Amino acid sequence: MDPLIAIIAREAKIRATNVTFIFWDLLYPLANLLIFGMALSRTIEFRVPGMPGDYTAFFLAGVLGMASFSIASNTAWSFFLDRDNGIFYEMLTYPMSRMQYLVGKVLFNVFVALLQAVLTVSLAAWLLEVPVRVDRLPLLAATVSVGTAGWFFLYAIFALRIRRNDAFNAVTSVFYFVFLWVSSMFYPLEPLPAAFRYLAYANPVTWQVDVFRYATLGLGQPSRLLMEAVAFCVFALVAFWYALRCLQQE
Amino acid sequence: MSDPAINVDGLVKLFTRRGQPPVRAVDGLCFRVEPGVIFGLLGPNGAGKTTTLRILTTLTTPTAGVAQVAGYDVVAAPLEVRRRIAVVIQASAAELLLSTRENLLTFARFHGLSGQELRRRADRVLEQLGLTEEANRKVQDLSGGFRRRVQVAKIFMVDTPVVFLDEFSTGMDPILKRSLMHALQEEAHRGRTIVLTTHILSEAEELCDDILIMNRGRQVARGDLTSLKLLSQGVYEVTIAFDELPAGIDSALAALRPLRSSVNGHTIEIALKEEESRVLDLAAGLARLGHVRHVDLSGASLEDVFIELMEES
Repeated sequence: MDPLIAIIAREAKIRATNVTFIFWDLLYPLANLLIFGMALSRTIEFRVPGMPGDYTAFFLAGVLGMASFSIASNTAWSFFLDRDNGIFYEMLTYPMSRMQYLVGKVLFNVFVALLQAVLTVSLAAWLLEVPVRVDRLPLLAATVSVGTAGWFFLYAIFALRIRRNDAFNAVTSVFYFVFLWVSSMFYPLEPLPAAFRYLAYANPVTWQVDVFRYATLGLGQPSRLLMEAVAFCVFALVAFWYALRCLQQE
Repeated sequence: MSDPAINVDGLVKLFTRRGQPPVRAVDGLCFRVEPGVIFGLLGPNGAGKTTTLRILTTLTTPTAGVAQVAGYDVVAAPLEVRRRIAVVIQASAAELLLSTRENLLTFARFHGLSGQELRRRADRVLEQLGLTEEANRKVQDLSGGFRRRVQVAKIFMVDTPVVFLDEFSTGMDPILKRSLMHALQEEAHRGRTIVLTTHILSEAEELCDDILIMNRGRQVARGDLTSLKLLSQGVYEVTIAFDELPAGIDSALAALRPLRSSVNGHTIEIALKEEESRVLDLAAGLARLGHVRHVDLSGASLEDVFIELMEES
């Protein structure tokens, strides 16, 4: 069996045996969409020029970004689990290169994120009546894939560099707070103070969520979105290069 | 002469820490291991055994020197080396969230096994290691000894020409350990090279065809058991079992200045380095202190050799 398939099979077996993983990877983002999306849609007046639908429609892209971010963090955390179990170092003696190890993990990560995106978009379209752009689903799939890979590589750097589980958890908590809230995930940036807006524009979550919003609702300027997409790809490549270096130094 | 399974030449590993002089964990080590041999790497804590093993298993790179496994250089062709080795690391290492059977299957998949052959091997290994009843239990629910058993079982799932075992018997019961040692000897007869480190010298004495004793990163002695024991020529072990431990035995033992001594219940064990006739006189002197049930006199054990070499080095 090819080492990449062996890694994917291993990751799948581990995830499938743990209900907690399934909840956090697949159901938690759906719960967010249902609870926050629906509740806020019914309690606040929300209008974005040129956008069809209510807050749930706007928040759909945010939920996809959040899922991508969370799944990547869970997969990177599995480096800790593997290290605690001792299997991490044993795996480094298995017949595979460090790059195959990293790529195998990210491929499984992308598969879970795509599965989660199918669930979220289906729920949004059929149950919450979000007018999802079916013609842009390939762009959506590409954004899920590149986005999840980029976040996984970033988290992998920290998971490989930090030796203590509690320190890694502290980092992910800060990341969650800063990356998710200082972005276009929950609200449009235009009405916000300039300083906040510029910080959010420099945040890769904003780049990814903006492309998601374009892919699901057709919202945004294509020229700016292209720039954001290119910037995210560069971010993902740099994170991949550094994560690989960290793994090679293990 | 056939190509060696392992070839190490002038191997050096330095560990540097900011503000401190570098530590030479491995310091110019040279050795060859022929195929089908059980090779023991022995030494006290910090001798450099695990670092040597980590280099040979591609977990770390050497600072200088050459290390080849199955003809491949560990630095230039690490993937080729990994294709030819199975490793049991010192720490407990298992897929805790997977079942015992899935642990074996997952490991073997990385080595290219699949389908019926994979399952057949898993059944055989589970049986061989007494794990059949635990086959479908998650490893996190097993005791430490069983987890170690699962870890070691994996090497029997594949046919890699070289196997590395770092303190493999930790936490195992004596019955399993014995059957495992027998299984390792069979693997060596089939042509696999087994490299092991252990602190349990009786284990190495029974298992290893070839032993390298190292201290502070360097080779202290090398050879098979017989040639190593020659290094301690003139060392004898005396065991005397008394009905009752005589009064003043401690001072009597101390007066003999033994290489080592121990008292277990009513039995004393001492290692002496003296002329044979003098050892007999000393043993007779001790035996006169009380009512003796049993006396045993034998040549040096690997432990005697080891202790003597460590003191010299």
